Amino acid sequence: MTSFRDHAFPIGRRRLLAGASAGALGLGLAPFGRAFAQAKRFDGQSLNLMIIQPHVVTGRILAEQWETLTGAKVNVTAVPYDQVQSKATLDVQSGTNNFDVIDYWYTGVGALANDGVVTDVTGWIERDKAEIQPDDYLRSLYDPYTLADGKRWGLPYDGDSHLLFYNKEIFDRHGLKAPTTWDEYRDRAKAITEAEKANGIYGAAILGGKAPIIIGSTYANRLAGFGGRFLKEDGTSALDEAAAAEAAKALKDAAPFALPTPLETRFEEGLPAFLSGKVAMIEFWSDLGVYAQDPKGSKIVDKWDAVRIPVGGKNTTPRLALNAGFGFAISSGSQKQEHAWEFIKFATSAKTGLELLLTTGSGIDPDRASTLVAPEYKAFAPKVQTALAGALENGLPWPNGPESPQLMQVLADELALVLADQKAPEEAIAAAHQQWTAIIGS
Amino acid sequence: MTVAAHPARPQAPHRWSWVDLVAVLVAAAFLLPLAYLLSVSFRSPDQVLSGSFLPEAPTLANWPAAFGATALTRFIVNSVLTAVLGGIVTILIALPAAYACLRLDKAGERLISIAFGSFVAPPIVAAIPFFFLLKAAGLLNSVIGLALVYGLTNVPVALWLLIPFLRRIPREIEDAAAIDGAGPLLTLVRVIAPLVAPGIAATAIIVVILGYNEFLFASVFTFADETRTLTVGISLFQGDRLVNFGQMAAASLAGIAPIYLIALLAQRWLVAGLTEGSVK
Amino acid sequence: MALAASIDTVEAPARRRRWRLGNASLASPLVVTLVLTTLYPLVALVALSLSKSTLGKPLRDWAGIANYARVLGDPAFLASLWRSAAFALPMAAVELVLGLALALLFHRLVKAGRVFTSLALLPLMTPPVMVGVAWKLIFAADGGLLNGWLRTTGLIDAPMSFLGSSTWAGVAIVVADAWQWTPFVALLCFAAIKGLSEEVMEAARLDGATAWQRFRHITLPLLVPTLAAVFLLRLVMAFKLFDLVYVLTFGGPGFDTTTSGFQIWRLAFEQFDVGRAAAATLVFVGFVSLVIWPASRAAKRLEARYT
Repeated sequence: MTSFRDHAFPIGRRRLLAGASAGALGLGLAPFGRAFAQAKRFDGQSLNLMIIQPHVVTGRILAEQWETLTGAKVNVTAVPYDQVQSKATLDVQSGTNNFDVIDYWYTGVGALANDGVVTDVTGWIERDKAEIQPDDYLRSLYDPYTLADGKRWGLPYDGDSHLLFYNKEIFDRHGLKAPTTWDEYRDRAKAITEAEKANGIYGAAILGGKAPIIIGSTYANRLAGFGGRFLKEDGTSALDEAAAAEAAKALKDAAPFALPTPLETRFEEGLPAFLSGKVAMIEFWSDLGVYAQDPKGSKIVDKWDAVRIPVGGKNTTPRLALNAGFGFAISSGSQKQEHAWEFIKFATSAKTGLELLLTTGSGIDPDRASTLVAPEYKAFAPKVQTALAGALENGLPWPNGPESPQLMQVLADELALVLADQKAPEEAIAAAHQQWTAIIGS
Repeated sequence: MTVAAHPARPQAPHRWSWVDLVAVLVAAAFLLPLAYLLSVSFRSPDQVLSGSFLPEAPTLANWPAAFGATALTRFIVNSVLTAVLGGIVTILIALPAAYACLRLDKAGERLISIAFGSFVAPPIVAAIPFFFLLKAAGLLNSVIGLALVYGLTNVPVALWLLIPFLRRIPREIEDAAAIDGAGPLLTLVRVIAPLVAPGIAATAIIVVILGYNEFLFASVFTFADETRTLTVGISLFQGDRLVNFGQMAAASLAGIAPIYLIALLAQRWLVAGLTEGSVK
Repeated sequence: MALAASIDTVEAPARRRRWRLGNASLASPLVVTLVLTTLYPLVALVALSLSKSTLGKPLRDWAGIANYARVLGDPAFLASLWRSAAFALPMAAVELVLGLALALLFHRLVKAGRVFTSLALLPLMTPPVMVGVAWKLIFAADGGLLNGWLRTTGLIDAPMSFLGSSTWAGVAIVVADAWQWTPFVALLCFAAIKGLSEEVMEAARLDGATAWQRFRHITLPLLVPTLAAVFLLRLVMAFKLFDLVYVLTFGGPGFDTTTSGFQIWRLAFEQFDVGRAAAATLVFVGFVSLVIWPASRAAKRLEARYT
């Protein structure tokens, strides 16, 4: 009769010890449930990840960790953020199917789903609910980021929104406090600009560059502040509501006091201006807080603070706009759907999310309730965390249906005409509303 | 037979006149933006828009950072390869074709107008059918594939540039070669080409530069660091939210160096090499 | 020369036929190239333009002339056509004159000319995106180099906006483009000048002709074919202006610098409406051909006159 030992450990003692230590290592490295089984699961395989350039550091971190965890090699391809949708689409459309996991801007989820570029993962999310914890995602962003046509197509990994950053030193010089309404914002900007423009210092940088992501974000901040929205519940244009025109007017009113000129101010002009202390206010993503504290590129270390986007009109509840924001999806042409899904679950998990949040240069912002209030995050970026918590849960999403690119381009064009003094704000919004109705209706 | 040698003009000592002053000013004007780029490459992000020509607190960090942020060396190598290979293909197709079309009168003229007609269209939408074509040929995401695309799409430019040079050659020279028993190909290589060597050199430099600086096709047809080119690499800097102009400037300046050398070599070598082989 | 004419043996027709065949085979790679780069994309463009096509779902449905109707009925697109012409013609003309002047300058300087030629090539070799970035930094309203100089010399006391101003944005683009492409013209003119017969020039000099006379009556006429070809080439390239618009102004302020090339890009890669972009491309080609045709005819006449 064979001993218990022979049955239980038929592989021999040396292999047992090797296996046990590997198992211990695996457990230590990857507390993800089936760690030991997963440590060798994709050994020798590869996975192609497409990620936007601003997040390339994140991509490399994820690739390294995944290789340690599973033995699989992740090939990271960075693309400029404005090409991510066309690259993914062309990849699938042409049958090239080079990418397995793709990064997507959430406003494109409807178009991607409609074009069959990404895989429907509704069932898998349901199946792996315990691991993914979908309820942990911030309510305001989970649906806009993943839901299209009643199904889910990916998982969020970066929950972006804008905060209002201001230069404490300049404000103290004028005895000013941070603005809470858009009227106050305009007044602060005016006061500072009129007093200091001879020295090249301005009250605010208004990012009005004509690309939808730039001028659209600036407008969305005001729209959210005025309590407005882009689309009604039934999907039709909400630009005929009062808040839409008020927001455009607020944009126009403050423009004369902004860094010259809003139309020429894209990220790459506004950001250096703020970091060198030339403007007192700027609306930007929360990772500006990290850049502002880096003495190698910032002249305003410890001289800044961040508050929530101002409110306006009849609205008094601070609300943030979901500007940018990215998720991971499986490319429908990939031959490695399972592998891709496992990677996505790992990359979008709370643990990975928190790690990335605490990494300088990752470009990641909170997308889960748990990470948003995590004490480590609070300690790492206290000013930003205070501003985000309590307002991000109520974020204003951009349209994310198949016609979203067209809608945002129309809006960006009209707003640019406003900033160029070629159209009145009310006229422009009315024109945008008309075109939106035509586009959505067709 | 020897090359008809021009009696060399006695080299008088060069007297500096107002023309030279103008030349220096012109050279300065052309170099100014590049000098400014050089200055930018030594600035950190907060110094870039400071309104002055020289940086206030220069930093060397951008240069190594540019090479570390992306696979810059690889990108530059790929750019050189695709541009030069493409240029060779273009000249090999365009030079004989230009010569032949001039001699084929009506049919030749028609071919040339078709070639030029294709050049008029912005390549933006054409990128899509080309994408499918390359995929069918298995040449997507490859240096060879991109070089072929450049080689073929630059033919109209090369044709258009070579024709005026070729047109100036009198027919008698060809007839003389024909008497000697040479066919069109031999005539082209031995007799015609040396006569238009400066034109070929200029055209070659132009198409190589066009390929080197091309962006749209490079960004659509390649998607891995092993095959991407310099222009795509620079667009990655631009595709960041916090655009680091200093690094971008460093990357571009580093990228200009190889193509500059190639152009210099092309000028000397092509002209010298071709004229040495001329037989009249 | 008389020798060639007098050789009229029975071999001549056979030789001529062999030459025709030889020439045809020399041109055959061109034919293959044209099929691949002209015929095939043209068919694809026409097909796309007659269908409802997005980047994700090309050739989804028959659309007939709907795309063309939308394109031709879009005032923004029609305006972009005129704008493209309004940019292209002055740009090509300015670059032609400057480039020729530059080439003559280099030629005159003989030795030093070689150095200057290589230096002048640098703008041409700068990646177009970088040309845009450099000029963007120069023209920037606050903190740009130009503004910095104007302020230190006291010419202005408040920042002046170039790229955000309707009047100056176009000028800025023309300046940047001229900086980038004048060397292109200069290089080609220089090659042409070098190819001019030294003997003729020498003879003219000995005859006592002044520099201006030599230029006007000998150099210029001999250069006309090259100049015409370069102008036309540069003109067509200028019509396709895209990179500088993308980096410097993104089509703005408003639509003031939106050229057709930029508009087509927006349709294809921002709106993903490939069908309409294809129709716009074909309309654009038609428009450019219309504009170029008289210029090309004039060029041919000039060539015939001066060759």
